[in-house]
Amino acid sequence: MSLERKFSADKKQLTVVADEVFDFGKVQDFRVAFSTDIEDVEEVTIDLHKTDYMDSSALGMLLNMQKLLSGKVSTFKITNTRPQVLKILQIARFDKKFEIS
Amino acid sequence: MRILIVDDDSLNRFLLVHMLEQNGYPDCYEAESGHEALSLAKRIQPELVLLDVMMEDMSGFEVAPLLKAQTDEIYLPIIFITALDDEDSLVRCLDVGGDDFVAKPFNKTILAAKISAHARTRELSKKSYEQNQQLIFYRNAVEREHKIVEHIFGNAVTNDNKLLPYLDFKLLPATDFNGDLLLFSAGPNGGLYYLVGDFTGHGLAAAIGALPVSQAFHAMASKGLSVFEMAATLNETLLKLLPGDMFFAAALVHVSLCGTRLEIWNSGMPDLLLFNAEGDVIERFSSQHMALGILDADEMGKEIQRYQSTVGDRLLAFSDGVIEIMDPEQNMLSEKQIEHWVAAQADVTVTELFERITQFSQNTSPSDDLTCVSYTCQSLLALEHQQTIAPIPFHLTFELDASAIKEGDPVQSVVNMVCSQTGMYALHARLFTVVSELYNNALDHGVLKLDSALKHSPDGFEAYFDLRTQRLAQLSQAEISMTLTFDPVKRSLIILVRDSGPGFDYQLRLKQASLEDCFGRGIQLVAELTDSVQYLDAGNAVEVMFNV
Repeated sequence: MSLERKFSADKKQLTVVADEVFDFGKVQDFRVAFSTDIEDVEEVTIDLHKTDYMDSSALGMLLNMQKLLSGKVSTFKITNTRPQVLKILQIARFDKKFEIS
Repeated sequence: MRILIVDDDSLNRFLLVHMLEQNGYPDCYEAESGHEALSLAKRIQPELVLLDVMMEDMSGFEVAPLLKAQTDEIYLPIIFITALDDEDSLVRCLDVGGDDFVAKPFNKTILAAKISAHARTRELSKKSYEQNQQLIFYRNAVEREHKIVEHIFGNAVTNDNKLLPYLDFKLLPATDFNGDLLLFSAGPNGGLYYLVGDFTGHGLAAAIGALPVSQAFHAMASKGLSVFEMAATLNETLLKLLPGDMFFAAALVHVSLCGTRLEIWNSGMPDLLLFNAEGDVIERFSSQHMALGILDADEMGKEIQRYQSTVGDRLLAFSDGVIEIMDPEQNMLSEKQIEHWVAAQADVTVTELFERITQFSQNTSPSDDLTCVSYTCQSLLALEHQQTIAPIPFHLTFELDASAIKEGDPVQSVVNMVCSQTGMYALHARLFTVVSELYNNALDHGVLKLDSALKHSPDGFEAYFDLRTQRLAQLSQAEISMTLTFDPVKRSLIILVRDSGPGFDYQLRLKQASLEDCFGRGIQLVAELTDSVQYLDAGNAVEVMFNV
């Protein structure tokens, strides 16, 4: 099942909406979601409003995305985190690498 | 029309009866004294009285007020028939309760005209009496309905009493029903949620929306949703439910377990003010969104305001009724005034604020509902362990052989099984992450002997995934067991995960992962999310403990 994606009108901003469970089982879907048709993308947002569960492999996947896109994409955002997911991001100190809201 | 003729002179009575019959009033009764008039009137309930003044037992002046007193609320015309023609006597006729007078000997035409005029007035009075009765009936019916609705409200719009020590609040509705709403609920991960809202208008029409909002709020709070999602769901519900000219301004607040991390969604409410312990405003959380029940889902913004406060800071929220209340000179109270009051006395209670508001408005009754709620930042840890939990101890064992392992990830099923127990849902997100880490470590490293170093290269994630899939397909001999033991007395949940692999040097692994690495973060997460972690045997078994 591919992940929901949204582009801004000028194609510069890409939003990827993660599923309810964000773990290693999503590694391929996630890779496809952030790496296809991104010629003009300057900003990537991962929308976690649906995500109830997350583990460390999801954290790894987020960092991996940042590495793969670095030099191309300048801003990475994580939005709409639920409290329990935010806690995991905070423990991993992801606020240093992503704009979290 | 029933007419009572009171005269001690039989000739006079005869003349009157005769004249009335000729004019179409055949229903006449005669009384020859004041006493007889009073007792007859009780029996026949006359609709008009012709009353002589001079009688032997009691004068017409005495009879008139008594007659009036014994009739019901419908106007009973009393016309004096009098031989007296001095001004004083005529005035007295009216003073004692008479409605008109006719001089003796009476003029037939004038008397007939007066009777018909008073009959019209009586008709009017009768109509207004009946309408009054109807009004009373309707008012009683509405009151009864209000009582029923009030009862339903009392039961449906409820709050979690164990949060009472943490919130200071007061609601003052303008009518029986409150268009303002205050809801609060403990979150599943410790922490608490509250909602202060204000429906358009006030009274029953405004209050009716409180029912679905309250139900949805508590359901969402128990799932630990973000304030944005709560707002989006409430918006969708209200959009369907409310008529076009009605909406719901609301502020949603989530306070995390530590008691100082605030997440605020403000759609159409006055600024929420954050004061420090000295009473100075340190932050204003202004409305960033339109009130709920107006916009379509895709038009809604998603911005949440986040703030890290410190213990002792105080978040004050109020409905617009509070700042728009007027003094007798029609000056509004305004937000500034509230800030002044808190600056002057930092620990002012909400009750004291309401006293000041009443002083300001000088007791003029407010035209809108007033609500104020104050949360002083403090640790909410005590709250976390107050949740009721199932009193039954349990012990769940999952033993997966190679074929079961190939079936797929058992983590979600394990979490669901545990979280279906009363009071355990609070753990669900932490439990998922921890069980997922432990199971995947057992599988990837213990059983499949994969090396995370593979993930170093940018494409390593896919390489790792491919290798994992490949080794999993070839797996023929393996075992992973998970044992979950719940002790309701100690309120502890212990999870033991063991795999058939050779184990590993866990002393080495426990060093912190660097921020740059795409792996090795799992055990650190487990350590933070549980109350203890312990590797056993050769490192192929691990035991973690949660305090529930």
